[in-house]
Amino acid sequence: MNFLAASIESLGAKVVGWFTVGYAMFAFLAKAGLLLLDPTTWNRATFDVVVKQIYFTAVQILHVFLGYALVISWLIITIILSTARDFGLTAFASEMTIRVLVLELLPFLTALFVALRSGSAINTEVALMQVNNELDALAHCKVPPMQFEFLPRLIGGVFSVVFLAGLAGLLALLMGYLAIYGISTAGFEPYTQTIAKIFDFTILAGLIVKCALFGLAVTLIPVTAGLETPKKLFMVPVSVLRGMMRVFFAIVTIEVVSLALKYV
Amino acid sequence: MNKLHFKVGLFAAASLLLAGAFVVYLLHARGFFEDTFHLQLAAASAEGVAPGVPVVFSGIEIGRVTTLGLNEAGGIIIHATFFERNAKWLKESSTFTLDKPIVGGAKIRVDTPDLDAPALPDNATVLLLTSDISKEIPALVERVKAVLDNVEHLTRKDGEITATLANLQTVTGRMTGEYGMLESILGSPEKARAVTDSLDKTRALISRLDSLALKVDGMAGKADQWLFAPDGVAEQTDASLAQIRLMLNDAQSSLKKADAMMTNAVAISADVKEGTQDIVTLRAEIDDAVSKANALVNKINQMWPFASEPEVELP
Amino acid sequence: MALMAAVAALPDDVARVALELPLRANLSALDNIALIPLYQRHYDTAESIRQAQAMLEQLGYAGIALLRDPDMTPAERFVTQLARALILRRPRLVIDRPGAMLYDEFYPALIRQLAARADMTGTWEIYDFNWNQVLYKQALDSE
Repeated sequence: MNFLAASIESLGAKVVGWFTVGYAMFAFLAKAGLLLLDPTTWNRATFDVVVKQIYFTAVQILHVFLGYALVISWLIITIILSTARDFGLTAFASEMTIRVLVLELLPFLTALFVALRSGSAINTEVALMQVNNELDALAHCKVPPMQFEFLPRLIGGVFSVVFLAGLAGLLALLMGYLAIYGISTAGFEPYTQTIAKIFDFTILAGLIVKCALFGLAVTLIPVTAGLETPKKLFMVPVSVLRGMMRVFFAIVTIEVVSLALKYV
Repeated sequence: MNKLHFKVGLFAAASLLLAGAFVVYLLHARGFFEDTFHLQLAAASAEGVAPGVPVVFSGIEIGRVTTLGLNEAGGIIIHATFFERNAKWLKESSTFTLDKPIVGGAKIRVDTPDLDAPALPDNATVLLLTSDISKEIPALVERVKAVLDNVEHLTRKDGEITATLANLQTVTGRMTGEYGMLESILGSPEKARAVTDSLDKTRALISRLDSLALKVDGMAGKADQWLFAPDGVAEQTDASLAQIRLMLNDAQSSLKKADAMMTNAVAISADVKEGTQDIVTLRAEIDDAVSKANALVNKINQMWPFASEPEVELP
Repeated sequence: MALMAAVAALPDDVARVALELPLRANLSALDNIALIPLYQRHYDTAESIRQAQAMLEQLGYAGIALLRDPDMTPAERFVTQLARALILRRPRLVIDRPGAMLYDEFYPALIRQLAARADMTGTWEIYDFNWNQVLYKQALDSE
């Protein structure tokens, strides 16, 4: 009986914990959203920080990222094509390739890439800011850190994931064409038909929204996880660990929900 | 000025340029910059057709189904849209066939035997065939031919029936003559009844063939309604139906001939109250022909279940 | 401990310089100071930077403008923190236990020197442990 009560209590504690985390996250998001509407946010300084964030999140890794997208796309396209040939379903290979790569796999991998690289860095930095009292110092100076520390990171994350996924997707489209039709313009017409069939405008808008949510998840969650860190240096790794777990679950959830909306 | 800003600017500009190019390409692919060409397809059934089903010509998609629905009279109207550049493949002699492969989605196949034929006008209404029927027509023709051969074989000048009848006549002649007493030795009521049974079956078959021929006539009439022009899209189908009609008439007349001869034979054997071994063989062969013809009739009835369906009204 | 609690409970019109209020670690000294005109008074970037630079020059430390926190000596770090507090333009300035920040300097003299350079209208207060009082006397005596 005691055991049962204890389990129920621990479950309750967990649920309350999740709610607290979720509430903090959405409250933070609401604050950031409100700040976006404030015209004083849109000054040169904020813009500069956003540019810096985009540089660190997207431009700095562009060559590595595109190389990685190239290899992944090539592998997946080759697997799909050879399987399709084995089963005599070549007609569906190009559609399958585009759907799997451009709509699902590449945005997902982009989000993971940015999460591992920038998300973990953001989480660590915010946690250290919190532990080192830097945020208290800013509060003492009455300078809200949202504008020049957090909001640019969110904007940079969203922008980076959308554009990196877009570039990877375009690259995959090109690779798919080359893999199916080779270096010739003969397949242009049917390939165009396939693309036209897949990308209606709801799908395209859905893809952009999904990438934007991915971008938000890989920056918002690390920031809020960092802000939760207790003021003890040894808690920084714990905070990063928790933040990254949440990022992973959020990415998977977004992907699953988007798939459910598309195909169920 | 600043190298970092320059790089980010380059990235943003390149990305936006690519994104813009892709959107323009997508608009092009979806025919935003192009005039479209519309067709209305009239079909007996919309099963397997949904918006987005492609219309293919020689395996290349040239258009797709946009909407489908019922018209005032309950007929099915499928609207298909083509790009203007693909309209050149659509001629008045084109046939539109709904293909439902075992793997993959349904598609509407366009066959244009004569590319020099006059072009279809925009918003024209054409007939959509179901591949099941159009594919089966040649096979059906073959089967009818086979049965016909069988019947012909039975009733040919020196065929079994004639020979048997000749034989029978000889025997009867003999029996009514000086060897008249033989009937009690050779004959039996069963054998006589067997001949009568065969006769009944043949007669039933003839009446079924009659009704089938009527049905085929009805089909041809409906196809005529679908055509809108006497030598329009369903010409081939029409021709096939006419061919079947002819064959069935042939079979019918052959069987009627057999019927006449059998009647004759029965009349003779009724006189003598007897049959011969030849009559038993004849009966087996007629039974065989009858069962084959029956199977054929059933098959045809299955393929065209129109008799029990209301006539499809087309616009 | 009572002292620390008293310092923490200081009202809003006090600008503090304290160990617990460090600089933003990944920003240069200049940017740390410029944050205040930039985000509190909504000056543009160039003007904010100019004001920050002017503040550093006034204190005699223009050379540290581009250094970040880990690259500064304790004195330089203290000067940056002080500049940040001064640019807040609050009527009271409280330096909280300067010994903790200026561990490699004879800090009473340094603070006196800085105070002479800064033309601040308000009051300067130094909170320190009373066993360090003797140091301030020494500084006065040496002048």
